[in-house]
Amino acid sequence: MGLAKLCAIRGRLAPDLVAAASNGKVMMRRSSLLLLLAAFVTVTAAPFTARAQIKMQIIGPGSHLSPIAVSALKNLGGDDQHGVSSEFDSILSHDLELSGYFRLISPKAFIEDAQTSGYDLGQFNFADWRSINADFLVKGAVKVQGDQVQLTALLFDVAQQRRMMGKSFTGQVSEVPRMARRFADALLKATTGIEGPFDSKLAFVSTRGGRFKEIYLQSIDGHGLFRLTDNPTINLFPAFDRQGEVLYLSYKTMMPALYLANPATRREVRIVSRRGKMVGGAISPDGQLIVAAIEHSGATNLYLLDRSGQELRRLTNTNGINVNPAFSSDGRMLAFTSDRSGTPQVYVMSIAGGGARRVTYKGNYNTTPAFSPDGKFIAYESRDGGHFDVWIVGVDGSDPINLTHGVGSNQYPAWSPDGRYIAFSSTRNGNSHIYLLQVATQTVISALTEGNGDDSCPAWSWWLGD
Amino acid sequence: MIPVPRGRGGWETRTNGTLRLAALILVCAAFAASGCSSSVKKTPGLGTGAGAGAGLGESNLGNKGSLAQFKKGELGAGEGGPLHDIHFAFNQYTIEPQDDSVLKANAQWLEAHPNTNVQIEGHCDERGSEEYNIALGAKRAQSAKDYLVTLGIAPSRISTISYGKELPLCTEHTEECWARNRRDHFVVSQ
Repeated sequence: MGLAKLCAIRGRLAPDLVAAASNGKVMMRRSSLLLLLAAFVTVTAAPFTARAQIKMQIIGPGSHLSPIAVSALKNLGGDDQHGVSSEFDSILSHDLELSGYFRLISPKAFIEDAQTSGYDLGQFNFADWRSINADFLVKGAVKVQGDQVQLTALLFDVAQQRRMMGKSFTGQVSEVPRMARRFADALLKATTGIEGPFDSKLAFVSTRGGRFKEIYLQSIDGHGLFRLTDNPTINLFPAFDRQGEVLYLSYKTMMPALYLANPATRREVRIVSRRGKMVGGAISPDGQLIVAAIEHSGATNLYLLDRSGQELRRLTNTNGINVNPAFSSDGRMLAFTSDRSGTPQVYVMSIAGGGARRVTYKGNYNTTPAFSPDGKFIAYESRDGGHFDVWIVGVDGSDPINLTHGVGSNQYPAWSPDGRYIAFSSTRNGNSHIYLLQVATQTVISALTEGNGDDSCPAWSWWLGD
Repeated sequence: MIPVPRGRGGWETRTNGTLRLAALILVCAAFAASGCSSSVKKTPGLGTGAGAGAGLGESNLGNKGSLAQFKKGELGAGEGGPLHDIHFAFNQYTIEPQDDSVLKANAQWLEAHPNTNVQIEGHCDERGSEEYNIALGAKRAQSAKDYLVTLGIAPSRISTISYGKELPLCTEHTEECWARNRRDHFVVSQ
């Protein structure tokens, strides 16, 4: 997706939300929960005090987008057609735009020629960037030998004429997109105090291949589409562990079963239970535990299994419906949906056992919970007046907030690993697609999928790591 | 586990321990001629094979079930079978009074054809979350099963499965269409 298109989508999506986000007072009045989120950002930024004092005024949830210039990488040999530089800059720029913190300055406005000037402090003129109103500047250099790339990228504070952060990467040409994502994540850490979420994967269910729901993986910025399932039946509910394994439900044998698939080795374990039929499941962040929703005689209950599918313990025992298991990031807590009160509501319980505590009370159809990575909030979908919206609520049940405000059907929230974003499915523009939401500003930033077919059930992986 | 060489695009699927022996027997029975010696199954493109799933206590429904019809692009094309659908209110799984006579007629047919079995499929409309709807569809199928049992049909002749909201008969976003999709469908096998 090009940047122009991204901006167009953003403009079309929710101008009222963008306006609200740019007015801190409006946003603050809306909810004390958002104050909490804002406070979290500030506290986390504390170790970076020296620069954070300046930057938190410039860029922070609720303030304006900060202008940033991403200059071409200086060719130190082997990148004569600037292919590596273009790919790095394009993905970095896209990720920065998706972050919701930056406005990219068009390269057409650049005064300096990246190939004739230097790329490090003292080798170029900050005035060339101040005059086009850049707050931040990315410069760097690249050397390509055969399939090997050496790449350095640096972030500068233009007003302070200061180098803020630098990263060097070596790897194959095919790894340049990941270098861009890792630099984007580091850039967000340098400017906001929290690592960005882009070196990760999005999994989702899609009918783009025809009538059948299949599971796909891609990067957050839309590159590297990988089809995980290829069976003309029904595939649902992808969920990641930290190793990148994917648990999902499939009817591929004509009977529902859970599958724990390793995309790297192309091996998977099919998990069935003598208890009854698989309805859904969750995998713990460390990949060692599975919570399966299993139906028997009409009742669906949650069971704790090990990663091989061996049953360890029964977790719920009602004659009704207990589904949508979701682990907290420390693997100790479980959120789920139960109809034990008469309507579907969100509950939390300890994996170790003990009673379940109800979290949602507002509305009579609350499902699909997901823990924020810090364990403080739960995102879920709620039906109110015929509309489905994504809400968040304190894990203690406090301050439920509607994040999507009734534009289309908004469902199935999935948190980013840094906790600042939620991916969710929405029919706001017709077909169901996956969208990116910045939680603290309640801003829908962009669609993450596009094209024919309906996309649903997003899952956001953990950081991919080294 | 004996590693099986994988072809391009192939995936290797193993069934979990609790049923490994059963799967082994089934897979071996299915592939006896090809000399199967472990429960590892190589499948083209992540498992299109039905071998491991067909034997888990479920009757073989051939091409008559809704998922099989959906695979062929024939879901809802022509009324399938001698038994008739029943319908439900939104997010409900209790049998509606007007479906009492439908279930009684279905029970009479099953009584008159004692060598048949029936699989009851529970279905939902498009609203709500996918997983909750699978559980709701299971409740709907179980409601009909329980009723048929009270009418004298042996429980061993009745199996259930839920497809949640995944196999709608129609796709318009209207109450009329939703009402059609909130159904139990009855598939007869010999």
